[in-house]
Amino acid sequence: MVSDATLELHKFMQARKTLFCYSGPLSEDLLTSISNPVRHQLSETDSSDSVAKKVFGVFIEQAQNIIRYADTRSTVTGDGVGTIAISLTDEGFLIEAVNTIDSEKSNALEKSLVDLSMKDATELRKMYKERLRSGPPEGSKGAGLGFIEMARRVQRFEFEIAETENGPVFVYRGYVE
Amino acid sequence: MQLAATQRTPLMEISGSSCRIVGECYPENIQEFSSPVMTELKSVVPDSGSYTVELELFYFNSSSAKFFFDFFEFFEEKAEAGLTVNVNWNYRLDDDTMLEAGEDFAEDMIKCKFELVEMPSEASADAEGEE
Repeated sequence: MVSDATLELHKFMQARKTLFCYSGPLSEDLLTSISNPVRHQLSETDSSDSVAKKVFGVFIEQAQNIIRYADTRSTVTGDGVGTIAISLTDEGFLIEAVNTIDSEKSNALEKSLVDLSMKDATELRKMYKERLRSGPPEGSKGAGLGFIEMARRVQRFEFEIAETENGPVFVYRGYVE
Repeated sequence: MQLAATQRTPLMEISGSSCRIVGECYPENIQEFSSPVMTELKSVVPDSGSYTVELELFYFNSSSAKFFFDFFEFFEEKAEAGLTVNVNWNYRLDDDTMLEAGEDFAEDMIKCKFELVEMPSEASADAEGEE
């Protein structure tokens, strides 16, 4: 059947309980447009307002990372290209993001995420406040707080930097419950 | 100064005696939002007397955190100079993210009076509205 792949896509998304998924060039305008539908999807689940808000917060940080740092850009608009999804798992909500990154920055990113993954809540809070005071590190297009903020909101996170023919691809998975 | 809330920026009211911020803050470009606000504060907030800061935030992103940091630092400096500053950080009963954020900021406020004020949860506020 010509529609096999389409049917498989549907089945795959349903089976992994993906509430929302976007893959492609992401802009701030698009993020504004999808914010309300994403919130609506979250409010349809049994989760509390507090959990829904954490999921939304992690989603926004991941989306803005793609917008600002994805190495692959749309040839038409220059927007960062990536994939972002929110799914339900046995461990609560899973918020995933995938995008290519600048190979020169991949080591520094890996180092800072390994560092973050070993911190407890008190240490993360301390880091967050120190970063607020010191201002963003070189190369940051925001406050340099995004990954610390996400680490404070998630139960746990995983990440991987996979080498591909298109350069390094960054995968981030955060669980919120 | 009065700025109406947008989908990604809060309602903002600034006068010579009080400042009020209500809503969410995750604009595309925080500088564009914060620069005129900080300029206005610098021109209208007095050096003596008393001043009330009322905040009711539901969500802000990490890029906006720096704005709130600068905002509170501004008032802390005013308080050091002699202005009596009362800050009310209003948060919803079940919103631990905004409670934590309030606690983070409160820690650095020495001269300003900083109160964490619990409001009814969103669900119970909705129920009240229906009565």
